Amino acid sequence: MSRILVPCHVKGTVALQVGDVRTSQGRPGVLVIDVTFPSVAPFELQEITFKNYYTAFLSIRVRQHTSAHTPAKWVTCLRDYCLMPDPHSEEGAQEYVSLFKHQSPSMTFPKWLSHPVPCEQPALLCEGLPDPSRVSSEVQQMWALTEMIRASHTSTRIGRFDVDGCYDLNLLSYT
Amino acid sequence: MLQEESDLSLIIAQIVQKLKGSNLYSQLERQAWASLQRPEIKLESLKEDIKEFFKISGWEKKLQNAVYSELSVFPLPSHPAAPPEHLKEPLVYMRKAQGSWEKRILKSLNSMCTELSIPLARKRPVGEQKELLNKWNEMGTDEPDLSLFRPVYAPKDFLEVLINLRNPNYENGDSLSFRTHLGLIQVPLKVKDIPELKECFVELGLNIGQLGIDDSTQVPPELFENEHVRIGQKVLAEQDSAAAQQYIRQGSPTALRAELWALILNISSQPEDVLYYEQLKTNVIQHDLLVDSLIYKDVKLTASNDDYYFVFEDYLYQVLLCFSRDTSVLSHFAYNSASPPKSYIRGKLGLEEYAVFYPPNGVIPFHGFSMYVAPLCFLYHEPSKLYQIFREMYVRFFFRLHSISSHPSGIVSLCLLFETLLQTYLPQLFYHLREIGAQPLRISFKWMVRAFSGYLATDQLLLLWDRILGYNSLEILAVLAAAVFAFRAVNLMEVTSLAAAEAVLADLSTLKKT
Repeated sequence: MSRILVPCHVKGTVALQVGDVRTSQGRPGVLVIDVTFPSVAPFELQEITFKNYYTAFLSIRVRQHTSAHTPAKWVTCLRDYCLMPDPHSEEGAQEYVSLFKHQSPSMTFPKWLSHPVPCEQPALLCEGLPDPSRVSSEVQQMWALTEMIRASHTSTRIGRFDVDGCYDLNLLSYT
Repeated sequence: MLQEESDLSLIIAQIVQKLKGSNLYSQLERQAWASLQRPEIKLESLKEDIKEFFKISGWEKKLQNAVYSELSVFPLPSHPAAPPEHLKEPLVYMRKAQGSWEKRILKSLNSMCTELSIPLARKRPVGEQKELLNKWNEMGTDEPDLSLFRPVYAPKDFLEVLINLRNPNYENGDSLSFRTHLGLIQVPLKVKDIPELKECFVELGLNIGQLGIDDSTQVPPELFENEHVRIGQKVLAEQDSAAAQQYIRQGSPTALRAELWALILNISSQPEDVLYYEQLKTNVIQHDLLVDSLIYKDVKLTASNDDYYFVFEDYLYQVLLCFSRDTSVLSHFAYNSASPPKSYIRGKLGLEEYAVFYPPNGVIPFHGFSMYVAPLCFLYHEPSKLYQIFREMYVRFFFRLHSISSHPSGIVSLCLLFETLLQTYLPQLFYHLREIGAQPLRISFKWMVRAFSGYLATDQLLLLWDRILGYNSLEILAVLAAAVFAFRAVNLMEVTSLAAAEAVLADLSTLKKT
């Protein structure tokens, strides 16, 4: 399972509103964020991860090229995905979110191909339901991860609060 | 499907990793090895036979209880990209507010230190150690001069901080508008409304029997009480934590309460636990901490003056002094928005190898803290068991009452829940109290911060704490606070000042909470 981060450029937000931005009052409820992938070889998108900040609903649209001759078109992958069950309260407001390929109702995120390149194919995740042995290998991976984390902790389980028998303290530290 | 399965794998891995370091794990291992001697264990079906043996001998149940305990206490693993502070508290502005509040407490403690020229910690000379050991069971007879010490903070100081909490992304406007909250709490946390509360606390419905009401003298015991006691005894015989938690939602019979709480909190007094407590006692004997004086002062000011609890004064010292030395409490800071205060060994400022936590358990007691322990003294008389129960209650529930977080059982949510309930169902009363300058939260805050300890009669308090354990939530404190106002509404409508309102609500000891 080789997954790598794809470098992307996230542009600033643009408000969607009717009328002149400068003169109209009030704040629109819809903002658009453009994400581009400059100079990247074709890849299969598996997961989008981000931290929310008070966005209630999310829609994702992608522009895909199907071949060199037809113009690129916009496809909606996700519409009004709910991030905050109650937008007027804090639930979900600052949560970390992952969106996966299988959540898109059109079955797959479209392949991000600028033009078909037959030889370069990154390792693909198998589609459909994962099998039990895969789940158990995931458990083992998690295990290894937690063992690593545990090993790196200075253990407080020993019960000692002093340093070599000394607990002679100055003042409390503010940092 | 993929996400749920990997979530489940992560939860399983996390629980297994936690339990691997526990006593239970080594006991299970020993039992498994020992069981190989048994005739029914065959090599061909080793795994199945051992599993069957565990089931019959009750070890599987112990493991189930331990897993259930982990699920109840530790939050579910969050998103892999989320840093540890996100698990403590997801909202950045709340984290910042908690950080500022902690800084204030540290400054206050430091200035007390310098003003009184008393060290934060010192090693006791041998003579003093012997003396303390001799009077370990009667520390209450000591009358040290505590006049110069003052509590680090009182609940009302904390309330002021909560009142000033603001979400920077939430435009309230300074002037009163339809968007400002009418109460004191101005942050838009999600709280349950009555229909949701009814659904959540379904066992407290009017058509379901409750101890505290349906066991009163006028009600024949055959109707509810006898059967309920019988079920309780069965639950204890089965030693099932989850069943006990479900059972106790309708209240616990007095005779069964101590065992039921121990079962729910998954506390069994093993020799290792007694040894651990003795080790903590040794730590108290060897080192004297400034917080010890704060604890003494608190006990003298609160529990010792209380008609119900003054008899337990010595127990309180034995629990709280040991509590301060217990480094195992540090692990709860993983899911507590608060962080333990840090210090350095004298002369080694800034050197990480000499960094320590102060006090060793990271918890600085405030005015009224000892009241969390006092009611438990009615149930447990053996110091190490009393200690374990209190510690578990603290790391599961009480810590949420004095730290700033967005958790549904955190004090901020409880305050908002209280205010919202009152505004929604007693709008006239709420408006009237506001107009006379008696915001209801100013009166009920101290009840909730102490989980009503010292405000309700003990039998009623224990029935209340039954429900806290049963529902694994502190929301019931806010509901009770609103109910108290509703109960005294007629009198409250007639008062014209905050002081008079306080007087109407001063004595709750006659209230039958159920």
